[in-house]
Amino acid sequence: MKTKLTLLISALMTGLLLHTFAMAADADEYMAALTKAQQTLREAETKVQLWSTSEILLKDAEKAAASGDFELAVMLANEATLQGELAVATAEREKKTWQNVVPK
Amino acid sequence: MKRFLIACFLFVVMANVYATPEQDRLALREFFSQRFPDLDLNEMINGLYAFDEGAREQWIEMEDFPPYEIAIEEGEEAFVVPFANGKSYADCFENGGMGIKQNYPRFDTDSGELITLEYAINKCRTDNGEEPLPWLTGELAAISAYMAYTSRGNKMNVVIPDDPRALQAYESGKEYYYTRRGQLEFACENCHMQSANNLLRADRLSGMLGQATHWPVYRSKWGETGTLHKRFMECNVQVRAKPYEAQSQVYRELEYFLSYMSNGMEMNGPASRR
Repeated sequence: MKTKLTLLISALMTGLLLHTFAMAADADEYMAALTKAQQTLREAETKVQLWSTSEILLKDAEKAAASGDFELAVMLANEATLQGELAVATAEREKKTWQNVVPK
Repeated sequence: MKRFLIACFLFVVMANVYATPEQDRLALREFFSQRFPDLDLNEMINGLYAFDEGAREQWIEMEDFPPYEIAIEEGEEAFVVPFANGKSYADCFENGGMGIKQNYPRFDTDSGELITLEYAINKCRTDNGEEPLPWLTGELAAISAYMAYTSRGNKMNVVIPDDPRALQAYESGKEYYYTRRGQLEFACENCHMQSANNLLRADRLSGMLGQATHWPVYRSKWGETGTLHKRFMECNVQVRAKPYEAQSQVYRELEYFLSYMSNGMEMNGPASRR
């Protein structure tokens, strides 16, 4: 009986420990995604190309992280990064091509 | 001979890439002349009403009791009230501020600043110890409307002085105008040149020429009189680009370019639009 109880407590403790590790990993993942998104959006802004939707995604990601939903937070931060990358791509393409549409 | 040919080639390339502002303006008029061969280009100061006869009739009827009239009256009242130090707006502007809107934006070669009329109005306030006014609507837009009203009939006369900083400001505004941006990847040019006179849902798009002659504008959509930079911000939001602050360097440069393109056209502000 005593052995069974010890095993049960050990299993619970192990589960709790693993859950904590999983949470920590998610939080780290979110911080990494957030940092990348912030850097990409800053680059887009420097190139006068930031989308109006991107910073909203980051705010939503922060809210999701604050409520503990790191999976959603990472997804939103990654979406912001993607938008930033697309904006930067537009900036780089337009830098080379905008003159083509100026009447001459 | 080979060198001469290379020099000629480079000259042609450079001339095409680096057109002068005046060449840009003339090329733009030619663009619209070809797009709308039956249209008197000077009519384009009336925006979409230059194209849409039905909307034009409604607009002319609305002009009997123009919705921006209140802004002109409020602007005149505010304009003549002296500041706490006894000075007034009239002391800040040439000709007491009357009939001068056609000269804005102007590049101040002393300070290196690009100065729009609204920027100058708030600068006048802060130079005289007053708080600046909000940029988009309200008292500032009203004072601007009054000053625009006193400039009606004058011809737009924006000058780019012989100063590389001024030319750079113009070129930056030009680049902004023709650059696609936002999630929808629209440039100002896509709507107001390529698609001028086309319908965007229920709205007919105005052409670029004359777009700077009639501000501030009472927009039915806004339910009040607002400044050009309010419209810039709205345009940016419509294409899902993050808007800049009113009177930011980016928007002042855009206004500089846009206004220069309307040089020689009649000032007709304030105006009303849908």
